[in-house]
Amino acid sequence: MENFQMLMQGFEVLFTFQNIGATIFGAILGLIVGAMPGIGSLAGVALLLPLTFRFNPTTAIIMLGALYYANMYGGAFSSILLGIPGDGPAVMTLMDGYPMATKRNRPGQALLTSNISSFIGGTIGMLILTFMGPALAEIGLKFGPAEMTALLLVAMTSIGWLVGENPTKGLLLTMFGILLASMGMDTLSGSPRYDFGSIYLLGGIPFTPFVIGMVGFSQVIKLMGERHKENKVVVNKLTIKGSMITGHDFKRMLMPALRSGFLGTFVGVLPGAGATTAAFMGYAAQKSFKSEEPLGSGAIEGIAACEAANNGAAAGAFAPLLALGIPGSGTGAVLLGGLMMWGLNPGPLLFTNSPDFAWGLIASLFLANLITLMIAWGVIPFLIKILSVPTKLMIPIITVVCIVGSYSTSNSMYGVLIMFISGMLGYVLTKCEYQTAPALLAFVLAPLLESNMRKAFIISQGSLGIFFEKPISLVFMILLLSIMLFPIVRPVLVRLGLLKKKVK
Amino acid sequence: MKKHVLFIALVLIAALATPLFAQGGVEAKSAGFVPSKDIEWIVTSSPGGGSDIYTRIITDIMTRLNLVNGQTFLVTNKTDGGGEVGRLQVSRVTAGKIADHTLLTFNSGDHAPMVKNTANRIENFTPIAVMAVDKQLLYIGEYSKYKTFTEVIAAVKSGKNVVIAGSKGDDIATYEMLVKELGFTQNQIAFITNDATSAAITSILGGHVDLVMSKPAAADQYVAAGKLVPVLALANARFTGNLAAAPTLSEVGAYANVENPIWRGVVAPKSMSAEAAAFWSSAFEAVSKSEAWLNDYINKYKLVSEFKNSVQAKAYMEKFEADYLKSLGK
Repeated sequence: MENFQMLMQGFEVLFTFQNIGATIFGAILGLIVGAMPGIGSLAGVALLLPLTFRFNPTTAIIMLGALYYANMYGGAFSSILLGIPGDGPAVMTLMDGYPMATKRNRPGQALLTSNISSFIGGTIGMLILTFMGPALAEIGLKFGPAEMTALLLVAMTSIGWLVGENPTKGLLLTMFGILLASMGMDTLSGSPRYDFGSIYLLGGIPFTPFVIGMVGFSQVIKLMGERHKENKVVVNKLTIKGSMITGHDFKRMLMPALRSGFLGTFVGVLPGAGATTAAFMGYAAQKSFKSEEPLGSGAIEGIAACEAANNGAAAGAFAPLLALGIPGSGTGAVLLGGLMMWGLNPGPLLFTNSPDFAWGLIASLFLANLITLMIAWGVIPFLIKILSVPTKLMIPIITVVCIVGSYSTSNSMYGVLIMFISGMLGYVLTKCEYQTAPALLAFVLAPLLESNMRKAFIISQGSLGIFFEKPISLVFMILLLSIMLFPIVRPVLVRLGLLKKKVK
Repeated sequence: MKKHVLFIALVLIAALATPLFAQGGVEAKSAGFVPSKDIEWIVTSSPGGGSDIYTRIITDIMTRLNLVNGQTFLVTNKTDGGGEVGRLQVSRVTAGKIADHTLLTFNSGDHAPMVKNTANRIENFTPIAVMAVDKQLLYIGEYSKYKTFTEVIAAVKSGKNVVIAGSKGDDIATYEMLVKELGFTQNQIAFITNDATSAAITSILGGHVDLVMSKPAAADQYVAAGKLVPVLALANARFTGNLAAAPTLSEVGAYANVENPIWRGVVAPKSMSAEAAAFWSSAFEAVSKSEAWLNDYINKYKLVSEFKNSVQAKAYMEKFEADYLKSLGK
């Protein structure tokens, strides 16, 4: 209850004209920045940071917090409407969001689903942050290299659910994703890998251009083949009312959103894992639950699962940042830099030394969450008009968006080149019925897995025992083994009469 | 009220420092260079990181003290290829107006990987200044098995393995120097490279490693909260303040002190004119002597202010490169 009182004090700090203005401004800017492909929360916060030096620190962080937060909403817009992920976490939203908007002709509902589940996920994350923040941060600390390795191995098995109908092709692309991710400087020793003598490749394949190309630009190439087709999407529901979801839709969305909200918050707290990882895990986890329509075909459950997870993670990431001064993501690191420039010392003493500031920030997250939901809801009718633009006009527009997005990740043409190459690759792969999702998931998880596994082996002097000695990693290892062995053991269990035969 | 005080303080600083700048200005003018267009300043790491903050604070002070003839700084973050692309680009700027208006943030943490992974060398740049140096310490956490560095040495000698967590670049070099001086192998005392010091601190707070290597600034809050305790100063003399309890290596036993100064500097394209280089060198000197630099940067980030002008910086960076190449066996 003490925390609740502190939160109320936080709201007192927040409810000044200036701070609410800052929240609204941050939220609007965050939506825009999030919706622009390539310019994610990291760039948004980094660009705004120098502007805020003249503000008082509380107002400044409230604005940046709101921006960061709203960004998680905005990312889904371009995913759903254009088929280009607005930022990393929105990649998975695309898997169901884009089909739902185009094939099922329910763009308003897709956007609304994403907004409401973002709100649910975010609220769960913030409540957990409010009541258990410091405790949660301590739990996050327990996840050292060994525990993270075990958790990531379990997460990697979820690729099995993403491979689709042809496991060989899925596995092939998983391996391909891992290989691509291993390019660049080795994280532990700093020695170059697969750089082929190019200094650009020394830095590896940048994630954002790769993803924009793989799923966004490949889409453009596909559209080029269909440019003379009549635009099938008839947008006649341009009002808020027309994009309302039904009670049945809400029921379908609620459970995945709740589950993912918790899962996402937890992933957000873990060191090194951010909103992107959370969204992937949330989506993969949904595969093991029932969805009314198959995931990937425009299922509401799919959108809800990843949007709730990434917003939960965004809130969860504040727990280690505020309680311990440890940034959970790149954006967190920039915020941390900001805190130091304002003369605050983020770290274990922040809650004690600057309670106004810490709780003001948490309160602003609640407000930003609500405001963003309202704004996002309001703009849906205007946004879905995009879908009525004829394909032949959309092609150059999306291409420009793809180019700008991939250019802005490192301010160079290198990103654009990567985007074009991976776009063509993505097109060919999709044409040959390879699923690109496993490659993307492997690309996100493999570097984390590699560095954690190698750290664990340095600690254990190369012994595998470390994964079985520590209780948390032991649990994950048992889980991993049971997931892996289940298909083998299943026929035996069936024969022994312990398990019923799978009904297809 | 606060603003007034700040304003008055600034005016005072400006007034006190004016003779200095005037001198610098006269020198620069007589040498015939003043900035006449926007200044492009390249930073090869991400916005918000240590190098970025360092750069933006300097640009802010230079603008406030009116050192650059009212011109604007355009700070560009070029992170491709781990920063190598940006560094190569600066080294290749052809002589002329652009070369005289281009600067690059250059630290020991940039210099070492550049020399290790590419053919680019300091001779392709014009060193402008070294602004500050930093040193590291080893800390233990709440769950650490060993309470002093003497205990660590004893444990290793009795056959135990010790793990140190730290950041990349400079930390690895310091670790290698330490292990060499102690006469142990890299298996007996292992090192885990993290992307940032904060990640290394995370792992010791969770009790996953025995020691953590950090510069004073990154560990400051944890020391104040009692979560980290300094056990060894990787310097030739003890630190001050709440870090004073940590002994240097020579105090621990019959070893030489291990010190690997981490410097923050600025370089320009090789093709920058001598007049421009002299102008920039004196502009940076003015920054390093300003009150704002001490308060907003040096004291806040607990660094040691150590200014080296263009000539001194050149010798310093060349020596750093030669030493590093030797340690690589190149």
